[in-house]
Amino acid sequence: MEQIEKELIQQAKSGDSTAMAELVKQHSSNIYNVGLRLMQNESEAEDVLQETFLIMIQKLDTFKENSTLSTWLYRIATNIALGKLRDKQNRQSDMDLDELEFEPLTGTQLLSWPEEVNQMWKDESIQSCMKAALEKLPESYRTVFVMRDLEGISVKRTANMLDLSESNVKVRLMRARLFLRDNMAKNLHCIEANA
Amino acid sequence: MKHIHKKDDKIIQLVQKQLGKDVNAEVIAEVSLHMKDCPDCHIYLDSVKQTINLIKNIDVNTNLPIDVEKRLYKSLKLEMYK
Repeated sequence: MEQIEKELIQQAKSGDSTAMAELVKQHSSNIYNVGLRLMQNESEAEDVLQETFLIMIQKLDTFKENSTLSTWLYRIATNIALGKLRDKQNRQSDMDLDELEFEPLTGTQLLSWPEEVNQMWKDESIQSCMKAALEKLPESYRTVFVMRDLEGISVKRTANMLDLSESNVKVRLMRARLFLRDNMAKNLHCIEANA
Repeated sequence: MKHIHKKDDKIIQLVQKQLGKDVNAEVIAEVSLHMKDCPDCHIYLDSVKQTINLIKNIDVNTNLPIDVEKRLYKSLKLEMYK
């Protein structure tokens, strides 16, 4: 941890609200982005953001500084987001693992994607296709995909945080990847047809 | 390695093995060998990798919107740091 941040933490712990505000400023964008990835919703990401920093202010004196402040905040934000996702799943009865539909791999689905796809990520239509595909992914799969592939959290830690077995995390991750791939394939086909 | 190309069949397992980081060298070698002789598996695996890379590329961090930032500081009862 950088010396400047250590000093800020000590000042904030001793009640310096300017130091607390500076810590909030330094970490708020990252926490908002984590919230956005997990919740896929700006309003809910803002809730995660506010609740995370409320907890930081209330519990900063318990922060042992064994890890970085960003790791500690990340863990808090993820737990808050997961709690909200669980509540939503309970209300909406999220799709079961076996309910994701896969079509037979035939015909055009097995055509190679154009090489330029890799360079097309700045294209707005591609971006909206990708976001639509991610939004279609049931939450229990999206959470695993975000944590593993976007946040780079280990299988073990993802399993712990989601209260799943490691093998279940791997299965959900692979299903999520394949679901996204299939949705992208359909979307790419749409773009080509409409071009 | 004989397989039928239907989803949830061998191809899924092959892609999973190839993309997974928890398999041993023997399995990776077996899958890699199969990929050489199976264009469908190869194409499918490539498209899965492309999808993951595309999503990573569009997943850029956004700056905290100013109105969100204002509400955050208000909810925390803190003065915005200049």
